[in-house]
Amino acid sequence: MLKVEEPQPVHFSPALIEKFGEIVKRYPEGKHKSALLPILHETQAELGWLSSEAMDKVAAYLDIQDIEVYEVASFYSMYFLKPQAKFVMEVCRTGPCCLVGAEKIMDHLENKLGVKEGEVTADGLFSWRGVECLAACGYAPVLQIGPDYTFYENLTEQKVDDLINDLRNK
Amino acid sequence: MGRKLLLEHINVPGINTLDVYRQNGGYRAVEKALKNLTPDEVVEEVKKSGLRGRGGAGFPTGMKWSFLAKPEGVARYMVCNADESEPGTFKDRYLMTHIPHALIEGMIISSFALGASTSYIYVRGEMMPQIRILERAIAEAKNAGFLGKNILGTGYDLELYVQPGGGAYICGEETALLESLEGKRGNPRIKPPFPAIAGLYGCPTVVNNVESIAAVVPIINDGGEEYAKIGIGRSTGTKLISASGNLVRPGVYEIELGLPVEEFIYSDEWCGGIANGKRLKATVAGGSSVPVLPANLTLKLANGEPRLMSYESLSEGGFATGTMLGSGGFIAFDEDQCIVRNTWNFSRFYHHESCGQCSPCREGTGWMEKVLHRLEYGHGKMSDIDLLVNVAKNIEGNTICPLGDAAAWPVASAIRHFRDEFEWHVNEPAKALKTNYGLANYAEPIAKAEVTTGN
Ligand SMILES: Cc1cc2nc3c(=O)[nH]c(=O)nc-3n(C[C@H](O)[C@H](O)[C@H](O)COP(=O)(O)O)c2cc1C
Ligand code: SF4
Repeated sequence: MLKVEEPQPVHFSPALIEKFGEIVKRYPEGKHKSALLPILHETQAELGWLSSEAMDKVAAYLDIQDIEVYEVASFYSMYFLKPQAKFVMEVCRTGPCCLVGAEKIMDHLENKLGVKEGEVTADGLFSWRGVECLAACGYAPVLQIGPDYTFYENLTEQKVDDLINDLRNK
Repeated sequence: MGRKLLLEHINVPGINTLDVYRQNGGYRAVEKALKNLTPDEVVEEVKKSGLRGRGGAGFPTGMKWSFLAKPEGVARYMVCNADESEPGTFKDRYLMTHIPHALIEGMIISSFALGASTSYIYVRGEMMPQIRILERAIAEAKNAGFLGKNILGTGYDLELYVQPGGGAYICGEETALLESLEGKRGNPRIKPPFPAIAGLYGCPTVVNNVESIAAVVPIINDGGEEYAKIGIGRSTGTKLISASGNLVRPGVYEIELGLPVEEFIYSDEWCGGIANGKRLKATVAGGSSVPVLPANLTLKLANGEPRLMSYESLSEGGFATGTMLGSGGFIAFDEDQCIVRNTWNFSRFYHHESCGQCSPCREGTGWMEKVLHRLEYGHGKMSDIDLLVNVAKNIEGNTICPLGDAAAWPVASAIRHFRDEFEWHVNEPAKALKTNYGLANYAEPIAKAEVTTGN
């Protein structure tokens, strides 16, 4: 039998709603749809990912169709449409980074964390994936971790190990 | 030492703050433009400077500004393109991180020149730290009266906002950027109409790269004619070069246009040569979209004269023996790098980033990725090489936006200059999996460049 999942109620904190209000003010009268991308970033930063319930709520806030939110959230690579690990380590996999060892860093992450690209460790803490050029080619290899998108540059296997230890103790 | 116009004060502690930026001459250009010049005079100075767009296409900035439609009662917009996603390019991030006020000062002057009262800086979403830096700097500038209502008592009003992207290379294309800024998917628009006529919210709009906008500051301070004296021929001024790959000192450098490529790579003032004592095999001189060149054609033109870092010299010889300055993303490959693997990597990038609107781009990029993957992993056929040339040719010029060309050129140029390496992958699949083709296999070995320093 097909199991239809119960909608999960989502709650937006008053601080988040206040941020929405600030963002909408940046655009001319009637052009508030422009707020969609920044609002989705803020929502994801609070909730960790964008469930369809969360997107519907954003649509209602901006007074646009639900589909207008889905089509945007699914177009851009930064929006997560599924729950994620606490720390998603995104390693640049594009040419310049690969010239100086990005592929080795990804292999190392796979071994160290014991999960393949996109999978989450059993404790729910870590996942890793290759992403396209992060505009940091001179400090390669690099990885970033949201929602602040802190950068870790000139990576070595040792630095990756230290980073994982630091994050584990956070 | 070359002249520095954008990065002159980069090492001054605290230059990211308004106070220190002002102590080093910051916001003088805003005072000068708003108090002593008319908007048209600002446009005139930028025209005289010969500044060409630093985002990749090299279109003259002053000319672009003069195309802006000015219908009565319709808002105009100035939008900064800080999407910076072209592989090999990381100069805008550097500028925004270290001297955010240079961009903000440039935005104020540009907006004034174009008659915009609301302007946006569209920053790629992954640059959250830079977004915070810019927001802080904007607040500082507003506090000091450089933004907001009645700036410096001149009656000019301007609000400046930072807009994050969502992670999509295509949003660097200016019409996709505008779609994204309107809260939509980043699908490029069919042109015409150009943004100068119908851009953001259907209003006349100018989109410029971060570096182009920052360059307006020294142009106003020193005058367009002074700026035009720097550089060579129609490549005026200085250019930020993002240097990456197998270099001793990768990083962002400000060069005077016209610097010999050889000096840029090998001189200790710049990149310091190829890392680990290896030899140079190839370069991609202007970001991943421009043709790859073997070492000999990187350093010298086909006629043996030195190649220079300028729009004209880098494109000398057309695509047969030349390339392009593009965004200034300079990627160096050492003798151990595999051209086939890198070409596959780039085509995976373009396939991933294609917005999917045009079938030649959507299907062609996927096809090229697949064929290159099988060549790299030892399952390729000899006919695959011509197949790639054919697919590339059929994408080029047949798409809505230049991403199609950008995907085709790296493949076509890699086969043009390194065909033997592709053939070797077909003939020696087992070896190709274990080792790289290297330099030793070339019939005409690429000479190790002599180190020359300027002066
Ligand atoms: C696929 C694609 C990606 C682009 N990415 C960027 C970018 O990241 N930054 C940029 O300034 N220009 C980019 N451009 C060029 C812009 O369309 C536009 O020409 C530029 O922003 C104009 O500014 P400029 O005249 O100051 O260079 C891109 C173009 C294409 C086709
Ligand atoms: S060329 Fe590619 S990226 Fe550009 S509009 Fe067409 S499908 Fe989209």
